[in-house]
Amino acid sequence: MSMEIVNWVLVVIGQILIAIGVVCDLIAAILMIRFPNFYVRLHALTIGSIGGSIVPIIGAIFVALGAPYLGTYRWFLAGAAAVTALFIFMLGAIGSHAIARAAHRSKTSTLVPCFADHLAEDRGERGCRQ
Amino acid sequence: MSVDIKTWVDIFLTICMAPYIASFLLYLVRVVKGPTIPDRVIAVDALGFDLAAFLVILSILFESPILLVCAMVLSLWVFALDIYVAKYLESKELGE
Repeated sequence: MSMEIVNWVLVVIGQILIAIGVVCDLIAAILMIRFPNFYVRLHALTIGSIGGSIVPIIGAIFVALGAPYLGTYRWFLAGAAAVTALFIFMLGAIGSHAIARAAHRSKTSTLVPCFADHLAEDRGERGCRQ
Repeated sequence: MSVDIKTWVDIFLTICMAPYIASFLLYLVRVVKGPTIPDRVIAVDALGFDLAAFLVILSILFESPILLVCAMVLSLWVFALDIYVAKYLESKELGE
């Protein structure tokens, strides 16, 4: 009976985390549509990858640990989900930094509306001022 | 405890699938209409990470843990796409 209470606590903690992740995911998708240019959309990407992916995967780890009907494979499920969360935690940050640096250096994406571009001014380019 | 853990978890995850699919469609809008290449790439990036989380949820719902392998490889491929496009944009070549 006490084991069942532990399972319920794990499942409810995991469900709270999954609910937070679903809300973050929906917010990130709406912001990805609404934001005006590339450099602001990086913020929506961060909400979508950290809040929308890592948090529900950690919640799924808790749900898998507290669900004995999954059988012995639930330990494999929890471990592989932890590895996936670790991958997204490291590689998402590295990839978004790389693509932002490349987009700013190659001037691929235009910065409208533009209020300040100190990086371009420091590098001797024109920046925002016409 | 009148309700079973399995039915409780299954009902909750089935409800959670609807906002995920809605956000996939919104990301796809940005992928299709994004004005520049980096816009499309970060939209595909967010889409891939959320698809990985969705696969983890589906593997609990379908009780088949082998779907986790797909999620792991998918997150690695999204990272590879980022690095390839960043290298192409900076130096206009993919390296040899």
